[in-house]
Amino acid sequence: MVLTCPVAMGRTMRQDDASELSRRGLLRAGALLALGGAAAPLAGCGLLDRDEPPPQPDPLAPLLDESRQLAAGLRAAATAHPDLAARLLPLAESHEAHAAELARLTGAVTASATPTATPSGSPPTDRSAALAELRKSERAGRESAIRACAAAPAERVALLGSVAAARATHLEALR
Amino acid sequence: MSESAEALAAALTAEYAAIWAYGPVGVRLSGTERKAAAEAEAAHRARRDALVVQLSTGGGSVPPDRAGYALPFPVTDRASALRLAVQVEERTAAFWRAALPVSTGAERDRALAALVEYAVRATRWRRSAGLTPLTVPFPGRPG
Repeated sequence: MVLTCPVAMGRTMRQDDASELSRRGLLRAGALLALGGAAAPLAGCGLLDRDEPPPQPDPLAPLLDESRQLAAGLRAAATAHPDLAARLLPLAESHEAHAAELARLTGAVTASATPTATPSGSPPTDRSAALAELRKSERAGRESAIRACAAAPAERVALLGSVAAARATHLEALR
Repeated sequence: MSESAEALAAALTAEYAAIWAYGPVGVRLSGTERKAAAEAEAAHRARRDALVVQLSTGGGSVPPDRAGYALPFPVTDRASALRLAVQVEERTAAFWRAALPVSTGAERDRALAALVEYAVRATRWRRSAGLTPLTVPFPGRPG
């Protein structure tokens, strides 16, 4: 078999290193404090506060919102353009399936228990403009899912990969 | 072998099979579809080559290619060729998805790029084949 050079594939960006470093820094600072014992009065409580943070929104919360928004946008467009419904509704259902999985993963209230997200603004009356807007949303959604996948811990990354891939296929299906 | 090397070795065997399958697919297609099949095959070859280099420089074992692979169904015409192309892309995508949890950094980026690319290609083949829906909710997820 002939070995050729590795072919450049995909992106090579990293963006989560900074947050990883700062997290390590915090852990180290925490360890130092523990070593120092209780001798020093803990005037600066900022570090201690970080040891038991108040419940933060899950990092995937924006992605969950986005899934709901994308679904709502597709449903609104399907209502405005019934001839596109057969094409759009399966895509909306996929986003809803993603939302259900993301809600389960993040412990958020399940999609069925919350009111359906409302799309921002009504879809364009022109058919091709409506499709173009949907493509724009899917493209942005694909990019945010790719970023989330790159930054996620191992146990979440497969689902996020599928979400990114699904959004990419939606973009294709809307062409 | 590390978990990551195992997942990549599995992806390599999937790429071998994909490249092999595009042989019978390509001959049943014509025009732009045949061209698309050639491009798909080239993408699988590129990933195969990169994987062989990566696995051998990492000191891991490189699984060998086989002389032939069993097709899931006979490919006798354009319709069955397109159906096989859909399956090839979806199955290969699944191997790259499986590599995601055991990879980090640039390796994870590459696995994700492969998953996304093959999922999109499966959708294109579904359109050519006239299959609906054009998409699946969770590309690469087993079952």
